[in-house]
Parts: sequence; C-alpha cells; structure tokens
Amino acid sequence: MKVLVANRGEIACRIFHTLREMSIPSVAVYTDVDADSPHVWHADESVGLGATSAYLDIPKVLDAAKRSGANAIHPGYGFLSQNAEFARACAKSSITFIGPSPEAMIALGDKRGSSLTATKLGIPVVPGARETDSLEEARKAAAQVGYPILVKAAGGGGGKGMRRVDSADELSDAFDAAKREALGAFADERLLVEKYVHPARHVEVQILGDGKTAIALGERECSLQRRYQKVIEESPSTGISEKTRHALFDAASRLATATKYASAGTVEFLIGPDESYYFLEVNSRLQVEHPVTESLTGIDLVRAQIEIAQGGKLPDVSSPRGHAIEARLYAEDPYNGYLPSTGRVLMLDWPKMPNLRVDTGIVEGSIVHPYYDPMLAKLITWGETREQARRKMIDALSATTLLGLTTNQSFLLDVLKSDFFTSGKTFTTTLESMTWMRPEIPECVGAAATQALKQRSNDSGGTSGPSDRYSPWHALGAFRMHS
Amino acid sequence: MSWITITENGQRRRLAIARDQRGVWIGWPGGSAFFEKANRLAEGGHKHRDVRAPMTGKVIKLLVKQADLVAEGDVLVILEAMKMEYRLTAPHAGTVEETHCQEGELVDLGKVLIKLIE
Repeated sequence: MKVLVANRGEIACRIFHTLREMSIPSVAVYTDVDADSPHVWHADESVGLGATSAYLDIPKVLDAAKRSGANAIHPGYGFLSQNAEFARACAKSSITFIGPSPEAMIALGDKRGSSLTATKLGIPVVPGARETDSLEEARKAAAQVGYPILVKAAGGGGGKGMRRVDSADELSDAFDAAKREALGAFADERLLVEKYVHPARHVEVQILGDGKTAIALGERECSLQRRYQKVIEESPSTGISEKTRHALFDAASRLATATKYASAGTVEFLIGPDESYYFLEVNSRLQVEHPVTESLTGIDLVRAQIEIAQGGKLPDVSSPRGHAIEARLYAEDPYNGYLPSTGRVLMLDWPKMPNLRVDTGIVEGSIVHPYYDPMLAKLITWGETREQARRKMIDALSATTLLGLTTNQSFLLDVLKSDFFTSGKTFTTTLESMTWMRPEIPECVGAAATQALKQRSNDSGGTSGPSDRYSPWHALGAFRMHS
Repeated sequence: MSWITITENGQRRRLAIARDQRGVWIGWPGGSAFFEKANRLAEGGHKHRDVRAPMTGKVIKLLVKQADLVAEGDVLVILEAMKMEYRLTAPHAGTVEETHCQEGELVDLGKVLIKLIE
C-alpha cells in the first residue's frame, strides 16, 4: 500500500504520523500557497496541485495519485472526504478510498439519505424536510415545522452552509447564503430544512465498522460551539445518563451495521432538555475531534481505518478510561464577531507535559491564509477525572505562546474557567448567548510594549539613548491594541 | 522574536516579544496582544465614514453603488474568508460617496471598501 493524503494542515500531518508508524509510504498534495506547509515535509513524496481550491479538484487529486504511484487515498476531513462521487472515481481508477463505500456514504453520509435510513430503523430524527432545493419548498417546509428553523447543506458539515432562520422574512437571504457557502465548501448546493431544538446538547458516537459488524467506541460531547463550529469537546458527556448513553450506542451501531459501514464514522445526536434524543447526521469520515476518543480508548483511529481498508478486523476495545478534553485554537477574534485573522506566525512555543497532545499543521514562520479553515491546532488533555483534564488544559493553554496572529487562546481559558463549564452545563447556544469581554492586558505588558517599540526605533535609527525623544513611538497613549 | 523576564510585585515573569513592520506582539501566560502605532487605521470624522475590510478576504457581493442612500445597519458588502461569509453593514445612515472594491476582488485587512457621507 502507498497512501496519498488528499488534505492539508493538522489532519494531514496527523495521518502521516500513523503512516510512518505503519511503515507505509506516503504522498502529500499541496496547492501553490501551501508549498512550504509542514504537511508537505511530513510525507515521503509530494505533488503540487496548483490553485488554492485544488484540494477539491477530483481529476487533479487522482492524477497526483497516479503520478506518484499511490494506490490508496486518505481524504482526512472536509474537502473530498464525504464526496461519494470521489469515492467512486477512486474505485474506477483502482485506488482504495480509505473510508466507507460510496453506497454507505450516500445512505449515511448524506444528511438526506441518512435521515431516511434512521427513520426506517425507528431512530428518532428532528422534524423537517429533507428535499428543499428551491426557496419555495424551503418556505413550505419551514411553515410546516414552525420558526425558528435551520437551513443546512445536505452534503456537508462543520457549520458551513448552515443558517438559523427566525422568521419568514429572513428565509430568502439565508437560503441564498447557505447555498453559496455549501457550493464553495463542498461542491454540492443541496439544502434541507429542520426544526431548531432548544436548548440542546450535541453528543456524537464514534463508530468503527468492517462491513459486517460495527462497534461504538464511546461518545463525545461537542455542545460548545460558535457559528456551528465546535470549540471544546470532551468525553464522557456530562449531560447524559447511562441509559441514554446505551440507547445512543445502540442506535449508532445499528445504523452502521444496516448500511454495511466499513471505516470510522461519527453518528451525531441532538439531546433535548429531557434527554430525548434525535439523530442528526453521520459524518462518514474521520472527525476533527477524534483524538478525544483515542485518548480514552488507546485506539489509533487512522490505523483502524487503514487496517479495515486492507480487509483487516476491528480492533479489540476495552472500556474507555478517564476523561479527555479537546480545545481548538483558532486564528480568530472571539471578542469581535469571531473574525478570522491571517498573517505570519512570528513566534510559536507549545508546552510539553504528561497527558497533553498537540495536533497542529503550523510552525514558526508559517503563513495563515484566508483560503482555508482558521483552525491552528487542537490541544487534547487527559485525566483520571474531568477536573484533572480541565485543570491540565488550563495549564497547557496558559503555557502556549503564539504571536503574529489574533487567536482565541484567552477565550478558551475563560470558557474552561467558567462556572458553566466547571459544572458541565454546556449547551449548543451557551457560548453565543453570553457576552465575552476581552481580558485586560496585564500592566507589565503595556510597559514591555513601550520599551520594545522604543528599542525598535533605536535599532532602525542607529542611535540610542536620549536622542530617541523625537521618536514617533514615544507616547504609549497613541498605541492601538488588538487581541 | 525573543523572551524577556520582568519583575512585577516581586514576581519574576516571562513575556514573549515578536516584532513586525507594523508594531510589536507581546505574549504573556494565556494571552497575547498587538501594539500598533495609532492613526495607521485612523477612523474618519463624523461627516465621512470609511467602511474598511475587517479581515483579508474576497468580496463576494457589493450591494451598493455611488450615490445610493443607505440606512444604519444596511448590508453594504459581503466578504468571504475561510469559507465563511461576513456582512459589512452601514455604521450610520448616509449616502455612498465612493465604492472602492469589486465583486470577486481579494482585499487586504484595513482596505477602505466604501466611503459614506452622513
């Protein structure tokens, strides 16, 4: 086997680590702006694809596989990972797609198809309409279930191509925007309409199937989101009883078995206030937050995917142990509408401590472009108890240094230290319903900034001492601060 | 790019420092901030107001043209970055004096996209 990874960033780096551990030759692909990205160096070989959007270009990716002699492709998450057409095109070119079959992908990975499959198996789904290609159909469906509703991309995930709509007046705008986003992110503009359940928790079950049987490896609670993008995930969930947990595991493995699912996948559920649960969708791919489950079970999910693709058996699963938390470090300003930030990483220092894992695709000097996802890294901590994992995460984030871009570092710390997080009261709307204040800058930092800027004007002017009294950097009152 | 150690209330602390052309970044345990010279991104007076790109991104829709009357909160421009859309709205009611961007254009952080007069 020789594996091409059709992805970039942290997930490509993470997959290359497992390939090296398994002594499987690897191939990276990269676009022009990613030519110097770390994921390219982590592979044995690499092939350039050209334009920034080329990670979505099926013929180009297949051509790269042929040119490099790769006979298997791992799609990572996002990009082509849930594209059944791509999985089919791989099969046609005699390339193993490391993921479920195109048939299982359509039956499960597609939001529309999966709701039908779940309904047939008697698993509850959120009320709504799965066929709303036109605005008229969406309007009818929305009127039936009642506002507020969600408009969602049928072929995607991660909150892209998704809009909450509170009234009929907003529908037309939201419908168009969701369609454009869905087309740009997944090359698929189909939409569906769903009732908005509130307040809700988002709990998902990690599954592994080999085409004959399927097992549930554990759940992850991913309620803390902003703009439908997850921020902090953990396992076990603080919001479900043992009884609900077993019901979710049972529903998830039945769905996977019924569709002869052969790979890793995630079954997402919405949990209502009374622990009523609704099947949401299946992510028929590796999930961003998969390390949470790896921490509890000791299973390498990428290795499991590769072994299943080679016709191997499912790994032995012992019961999960302890508690794991993942925090996503984003290049964005949480105190200003989560606006993404771009630029060069000027200084980067990750902490090293027991039971901390850092998955990242950047190094010092990397440029964060506006073309791709703003996630810079994932930090995952493990502890015997939730409190241990939480404190370790606070310690890890406090010891992280990343300069050159505005990040959500201090926001993550505020969330981890909050009463609602400490007590496990996490709902999908929690983050956005609160006002988050930019933390005050420590006094010593302002003083250090004045000094650093003075020093800089000295360096550039070639003079030092009292002569810099004319320096434009003099008055600290004139400085504007970000982050 | 360097570390400095400072003493505050008898406590030794380490700060991270990195400079770029526009100013200096300082990192402390759990956070960081950028210190930039003022008036680089100066705001206009009350009568004129510039609507600037809050991030580097692509203009996917320009919804106004010169001489259009707009109300406070009207969407002027839709920007896309990292596959998410952002709507730039009018900070106050007024008339569009000039537009400085086109649909499809990639704009840098801080670029003036629309000039408004009250």
